[in-house]
Amino acid sequence: MAELTGKERVMKMFKNEPIDRMPCFSGQGAVTVQAIEKMETQFAKIHKDADLMAGAALTSAKMWDLDGLAIPFDMAAVAEAMGRGVSLYDAAEGIIYPTVPNKWKDLDEIDIPGDYMSKGRMPIIDKAFDILKKDAPDLAIGAWVLGPFTLGGQIMELDILLKGLKKKKDQIEEFLGQVTQVTVDMCKHYESLGVDFITVREMGSGTDLLSPRMWKTLIQPNLTKVFDAISIPSVNHICGSTDMIIEMMHECGADAISVDQKNDLVETRNKLGNDILIFGNFDPYGTLTTMESTAEVADVIKKCIDDGVDSVWPGCDIWPDVKKENMETYVQTVHEYGLKPSPAVKRI
Amino acid sequence: MATKEEILAELKEAVVEYEEDDCREAAQKVLDNPDLLTPMEGVMDGLAAGMEKVGELFDSHEYFVPEVLMCADALYAGLDILRPHVKIDVDAPKASVVLGSVQGDVHDIGKNLVKMMFDIAGWEVYDLGRDVPLEQFVEKQLDTKSDVLAMSAMMTTTMLGMKKVIAMVKEKNPDCLIMLGGAPLTRDVANLFGADGYAESAGNAVSEGIKMISSLRKFQKGDVPA
Repeated sequence: MAELTGKERVMKMFKNEPIDRMPCFSGQGAVTVQAIEKMETQFAKIHKDADLMAGAALTSAKMWDLDGLAIPFDMAAVAEAMGRGVSLYDAAEGIIYPTVPNKWKDLDEIDIPGDYMSKGRMPIIDKAFDILKKDAPDLAIGAWVLGPFTLGGQIMELDILLKGLKKKKDQIEEFLGQVTQVTVDMCKHYESLGVDFITVREMGSGTDLLSPRMWKTLIQPNLTKVFDAISIPSVNHICGSTDMIIEMMHECGADAISVDQKNDLVETRNKLGNDILIFGNFDPYGTLTTMESTAEVADVIKKCIDDGVDSVWPGCDIWPDVKKENMETYVQTVHEYGLKPSPAVKRI
Repeated sequence: MATKEEILAELKEAVVEYEEDDCREAAQKVLDNPDLLTPMEGVMDGLAAGMEKVGELFDSHEYFVPEVLMCADALYAGLDILRPHVKIDVDAPKASVVLGSVQGDVHDIGKNLVKMMFDIAGWEVYDLGRDVPLEQFVEKQLDTKSDVLAMSAMMTTTMLGMKKVIAMVKEKNPDCLIMLGGAPLTRDVANLFGADGYAESAGNAVSEGIKMISSLRKFQKGDVPA
């Protein structure tokens, strides 16, 4: 039997069908400096040019033999399209991701425009997906969106949003309803572009910031609406502390859960059982950028697999400045150590 | 007429219950009763004591960041009234801190909680804000010769900038203490960068900051181990 393509491997996994080995990919940023250097471009340029955005994702995936890829690379595009501006740090030395400089400072100021999908860099992202659909037929193509609460924190000041959760609960609920619709519309839009899977990153909602009770009343209902609206494979990703909310994350209805290194994965697997896909959960910066020994890297990846993930995902975007040998060890270890079945996915 | 203990309890409760108006009223009572207590006692044994309690509630997962932010607002409501009346020893050197969130980071919750700690302690605070270019940290530290430089980065993607700033400041001013904070940082990373202190996240900054407030209160009472 011919070897599965990366796309086949990933899509079969999402259907809980047997595959030859664990897929190695991420639904978050996985662009690396080695790919950017090979393209003879700069990190600041790959966010605002469709060819460079698609090229950076594809060159990285091919360079490291990944089974899938995901764009865009930054979380500012939607807020920018809503008129909140963007700082691209063209002149800054090194790698700095785009940010939003002019967030709304008051709930009463918020006015989400109806035409944001055609503004700012949104058309560039659409074009990059078109390019990837043509140039990367053998790879799983992922889109990612911010969850409603995290998107809310991108378009309005986070401390106002957090305090509003207690002081202006009705207004905040209405606002979160609005941004939930934006997240749903973004997911439906990416679906219409033909992406293979969507990761919803509600990264600002872990229990480092919010209580489990608040998560249940203000985050879970909106995330459930988002996953109800998605008809392709979906991933519910939250970084930071998730142990106290992991069952509620599961109840939101995504096909897979993704968590970072703060999660007690053995306990999570015990709580959720072996049917749900779980991705995670290594520290990308601490593992791929700073570790001095590839043996240590291999141990981290093996632990993720032993703890019960179905795909070894970094807990966040891969920090682009990875060590070549660490990245190679990550992928090689998944390929070899991931030959054995994972809790939710058998092997051919 | 209220007693000293009752006024301090009002200040403390107003902070814990995040009641800004109550905190202002209680702070005014401090000023109206100079024979009972000093403004400094109001700050340390009322406001800061309230924040200590908030820290306990945070550590026991009863309070989370939204509550802590509102408690901080209440504390500042009282501090704004009391601080102008705190007697300053003009002969004593005033400690100073330069702080901000590094370029590429528009989050400042952790930074603002750390700032609160220095404000309570009466330090000279130079707050550079957020999304601060690296050279500004260096320029301000060298310009003010601050005792402490505190930098925050919530995003993994911005924390590498700190390393450069630390190297530049330490080269010219090796005595400056450097504190780092931010969700993606670990103690190993902070050590790797050459920093002197570390707070893991906004949450950890609450715990760490409040522990420092506790130390300050003990110090003020002369209860300091030799």
